[in-house]
Amino acid sequence: MTDQKPVISCRNVWKMFGPQPEAYLAGLDPAASFEAIRADGYVPAVRNVSLDIAKGEMLVIMGLSGSGKSTLVRCMSRLLDITGGAIEVEGHVIGDLSERQLIDLRRNKMGMVFQSFGLLPHRTVLDNVAFPLEMRGQDIHARRARAMEVIELVGLGGREDYFPRELSGGQQQRVGIARSLAIEPDIWFLDEPFSALDPLIRREMQDEFLRLQEMLGKTIVFITHDFDEALRLADRIAIMKDGAVEQIDRPDRIVMEPATPYVAKFTEEIEKARVVHASALAGPVNGLSLSGDAVDGSKTISQLARLLVNDERSILPVAGPDGGVIGALDKQRALDVLFGEAQ
Amino acid sequence: MTTVATDAPVSVAGQSRLRMAQVLFGAALCLALAKGLLPDAMIRLPEAWVLPFADWFNAVFNFMRDDLGLVHVTRAFADGLDWFLDVTANLLYGKNRWPRIGPIPWSVIAVTAAIVGYALNGWRLAALSGLTFVWIAVMGQWQWAMETLSVILIAAPVSVLLGLVMGTLAWRSARFRAVLNPLLNVAQSLPHFAYMIPVVVFVGVGPKAGAIVTIIFSVPPMIRMTLLGLQKVPTEVIEAGQMAAATPWQLLRHVRLPTARTEILVGVNQVIMQCLAMVVLASFIGMPGLGQKLLQLLQALKIGRSFEIGITIVLLAVMLDRCSKAWAMKQPVHMEKGTPWAVRHRLLLIWVFATVVLWGLSLIFPLLHEIGRREALSLADPLDVAMDWIIATLDPVTQWLRWFLIVWVLIPLRDGMLWLPVSAVLVFLMAVGWAVGGRRSALICLAYFGLIALSGWWDRAMITVYTVTFSVFIATLIGFPLGIWGSRSDRRAKTVLLVCDTLQTFPSFIYLIPVIMLFGVNDVAVVGAVVLFAAVPLIRYTIEGLRGVPDAQIEAADMSGATRKQTLWSVRLPLALPTIMVGVNQSVMFSLFMVIIAAFIGTQDLGQEMQRALSSSDVGKGMVLGLAVAFMGLMVDHLVTVWATRRRKALGLG
Amino acid sequence: MRITSLLSASALALASVTAAQAQDSSDPIVIPTHNWSSQIVMSHVVGQIFESMGNSVEYVSTDSQAVYESVRLGDVTLELEVWEGAFGPAFEAAMEKGGLHDVGDHNAVTREDWWYPMWTKEACPGLPSWEALNECAALFATPETGDKGRFLGGPVDWLKHDQERVDALGMDFVVVNAGSASALWAEVGSAERDRRPVVIFNWTPNFVEALYPGEFVEFPEYVDGCKDDPAVGPNPEMTYDCGNPANGYLKKAAWDGMEEKWPAAYATLKNISFTNPQIAEMAKLVDIDELEPEDAAAEWLEQNEAIWKPWVDGGA
Repeated sequence: MTDQKPVISCRNVWKMFGPQPEAYLAGLDPAASFEAIRADGYVPAVRNVSLDIAKGEMLVIMGLSGSGKSTLVRCMSRLLDITGGAIEVEGHVIGDLSERQLIDLRRNKMGMVFQSFGLLPHRTVLDNVAFPLEMRGQDIHARRARAMEVIELVGLGGREDYFPRELSGGQQQRVGIARSLAIEPDIWFLDEPFSALDPLIRREMQDEFLRLQEMLGKTIVFITHDFDEALRLADRIAIMKDGAVEQIDRPDRIVMEPATPYVAKFTEEIEKARVVHASALAGPVNGLSLSGDAVDGSKTISQLARLLVNDERSILPVAGPDGGVIGALDKQRALDVLFGEAQ
Repeated sequence: MTTVATDAPVSVAGQSRLRMAQVLFGAALCLALAKGLLPDAMIRLPEAWVLPFADWFNAVFNFMRDDLGLVHVTRAFADGLDWFLDVTANLLYGKNRWPRIGPIPWSVIAVTAAIVGYALNGWRLAALSGLTFVWIAVMGQWQWAMETLSVILIAAPVSVLLGLVMGTLAWRSARFRAVLNPLLNVAQSLPHFAYMIPVVVFVGVGPKAGAIVTIIFSVPPMIRMTLLGLQKVPTEVIEAGQMAAATPWQLLRHVRLPTARTEILVGVNQVIMQCLAMVVLASFIGMPGLGQKLLQLLQALKIGRSFEIGITIVLLAVMLDRCSKAWAMKQPVHMEKGTPWAVRHRLLLIWVFATVVLWGLSLIFPLLHEIGRREALSLADPLDVAMDWIIATLDPVTQWLRWFLIVWVLIPLRDGMLWLPVSAVLVFLMAVGWAVGGRRSALICLAYFGLIALSGWWDRAMITVYTVTFSVFIATLIGFPLGIWGSRSDRRAKTVLLVCDTLQTFPSFIYLIPVIMLFGVNDVAVVGAVVLFAAVPLIRYTIEGLRGVPDAQIEAADMSGATRKQTLWSVRLPLALPTIMVGVNQSVMFSLFMVIIAAFIGTQDLGQEMQRALSSSDVGKGMVLGLAVAFMGLMVDHLVTVWATRRRKALGLG
Repeated sequence: MRITSLLSASALALASVTAAQAQDSSDPIVIPTHNWSSQIVMSHVVGQIFESMGNSVEYVSTDSQAVYESVRLGDVTLELEVWEGAFGPAFEAAMEKGGLHDVGDHNAVTREDWWYPMWTKEACPGLPSWEALNECAALFATPETGDKGRFLGGPVDWLKHDQERVDALGMDFVVVNAGSASALWAEVGSAERDRRPVVIFNWTPNFVEALYPGEFVEFPEYVDGCKDDPAVGPNPEMTYDCGNPANGYLKKAAWDGMEEKWPAAYATLKNISFTNPQIAEMAKLVDIDELEPEDAAAEWLEQNEAIWKPWVDGGA
């Protein structure tokens, strides 16, 4: 991941709401606490955030409501102008883009899905999906053909003449997804796309989303307040609190090694066994004698539970994606993850 | 018990407010009772205190007209408008102006309307549009209706466009909004007549003046609804538009305005209603057509025929409203690539064909071109007979009612109002203001009525107040039970609301003559006419308020074993009350408009003076009188809004 | 139909009006109409005469007071009924400002004043003197006027100054303004049922004279200045202490630019003169026979060619 230039790169990004945010930020001690800033009558929605997103990566930003995650993603798409710092998208500092350049960037690179869908109520499914194409001036036949393609892709074929109000929530969000994909964006922002949906539908949509991602392989920034969802989808997770990123890391590392007490509290209730993969738990082989079949490193501990309980070995070899042994799994440690630490 | 605890902070403020109000009520009562001891200045303001508002208005007006030369600007604008009016006038009724191809035969227009209706929304709208014109032609009203339509077809789109533009500007600029808002408040509560005098001076008379006065009156609701709609567009929809890389203009055109469609359509509907409401009033300054004819017929007591015109106006309103709605909802039809031209423009071809055939036929059969008055049908005779019968039947009752109301109710009330010292009234209004909204409201009430007192029109204003108060009271007695009855089922609600809409669109002038015939030229007739108009919003909002009560609350009441009556009184009405009060507010506004129009029956209030000012082109006086009426409306509006907002918050209705 | 009649009319006009006269402008002559029948019919009569001469004519409904401002500015071209009592002041004020002028009188005498139907005299035999009327004031009382008499005046925009007169003469009457002329006739009609005494505002020439015989109340005679100068008239402190002129003029007025723009039509307008009976007949065609004003005008023209033809020819 480090061999390439990041697609999105945030450096000390601040977003401040208040009467004169720029002036205030200029005179602000960067270490000032959230409460201190609030006391001055400003709201630091995004506080000194630096992070990189690599090509093809799916970064999930998590946090409670009000933690600044939606604001951060809107800064990345420049729906909001940032107060301080810099955001680069594919090497361009987006704060410096003219309106024309910004529009071009959005027309060719970015797609976004919204929590409450943001569909135009007066347009049919087809016209909603074709909307970004229409904005870039594509001819009517071409854009309808392309829109039909994406509609089929999200499984709404046959409903293209419906109006949003005639669709269920899940279907409406499929329209939202189709619209964001119509221009074939490289970067895909999803702002809590499934939180307005029922749990069953949510699950279904997540599967659908994973299928699409596997097929399309886009760079994704995904916002959610649902940790389970984050764990299911993320390559990396950024946890935000009061506008700042508390920790940004792989899901199992967040669970196993929370960087701050807040993150620890956040992950407390998580069933770690379902998150932690065998490969992550595996220690170096270091001359340990390993015998027998290796366990699949890409499986979670919970998926390996039966095997672990029944296996008599105390150290198990772990196989990498190519089948070769990549590490050694201490069974006791795995069982601790599975059943909780022995008191 | 918990409720008491949570209510506590509210009721502390409430109690201190009420205590202050009680003190003021007491003071007002003392002032009234001690009238004999009061110095004259507290009973009526001395002449010396009366400010020459009218002169000031006239000075400003003259300055704008002569020194600024604004009159040239407005006249130039009006002449531009006149060009468009001439085009429609030529097409519709053959006024001798460019393009000199009219008058188009009625049969062609009816078919055109039907095809437009079909294209917009299918057969039902086609039937409505086509038959409206057939009715107009067959009833022999073609010429007048086309004269009216030639103005409305220009005035309504101009109003909508102006409203959209100004609404959008107001939405973009908070400063513009801050200037516009009070102007709109006054404009919407200023009686129609107050506008007319300046229009006569700045624009002249004739169709253009009619069009402009119509536009002035119908633009404010359009601006408001546009602003409201744009403000209500969800952020995410806009962000979605931005992410779809719409330019700001595309965003406005394709995202914001269409998403605000519901509110904008309400605005368009209001524009159309206002345009047709102005049909009669604008004929005072030269708008030709139905309104002018209606007044002429009413002058000659030809009720039946004026009723026919009323029906035409309602039909036109309904048709225009439905067509504009259908147009706004219309989705573009998608044709596959390569569809032949003739198929894509099927309706256009049918229209061209029908037009050519009918135009040709109308040269052979003149009846297809125009149906003269002599060949026309008329419902006037049966309508007149019915009206005579109604009047004859009601006569004994109304004679008694008239005597009773005048001697025992209206005259004592009016004399009482006129007897009250100015100071007592002002303190009383402050008390009401304080009870409702604390010191701020008290001062607002004082300011509005204080200005009326300073204008020197106090006595006439009191007569207006008395007429409106009593009319709204009676309207409540009628409208409230009707509303409760109407709210019982969907079907009833629909029926009642339809009747309300019709009554509201029906030209108010038509009500005037029957009430004169029933009650004679006096205040009973005035109150009768006002009540007819004022009851409509009360019924409407009572129904809407009662039907808007959340189901959960009613279910909870049902499960608590409440009877239907108990549910109504303890649950539905209290929850609906804020909405019903909005109805009362509207009812007061409608009464104020109607009481001014009722000057045509004969009143001695501000309306009569306003008529006089219109005749003598006295702009200043007209404005002062108009503002006096507007201030009454604005005061009530303020009180009701403050009260309803607080009440809604208290009920947790948002 | 409209087109054909217009065509034939203009063909006729081309034949009859010779080219000797400077050509009238093709712009329409704008004739104002008000809210009483005789004026509307007369306007259409004159309009149709102009049309027969080849002019184009437009009618615009306007307020009867505000119209003088419009004539002055040329927004409307002429005014056919300038009643001395009702519109004299507005007309004269407009003349002072300039822009319109007097084009001569009709051969008619007008009077507008307090009026009662004959049966009223039975109850109040001292009539028509205003003092006698004042003594019978109680007879005219209605619930709304208490023990004072009610005088039912015309619409306020006719500016009759009845209230001023009641004040100036100290009469026990209350002026109630009817909203429209029809309200006046309705009141007389309903009074006739039980021969109830009424006193209303009325004028002559008027079709009502034929339906209900009646008389005008005799007030202190009108003298110049009575309306402006308190010293004139019986009450030295107040104006309007007199009746309306008993032989008022009925004038025509025209915009100053008319003569130049439509010379032929202007010449005809100068010749036009209607008499009291003719005016009453025009009103009757609409109010009693229920014709449309346009049709009434056409019918009148047809029956009275002998009267109007000379106006046209005389002007040419």
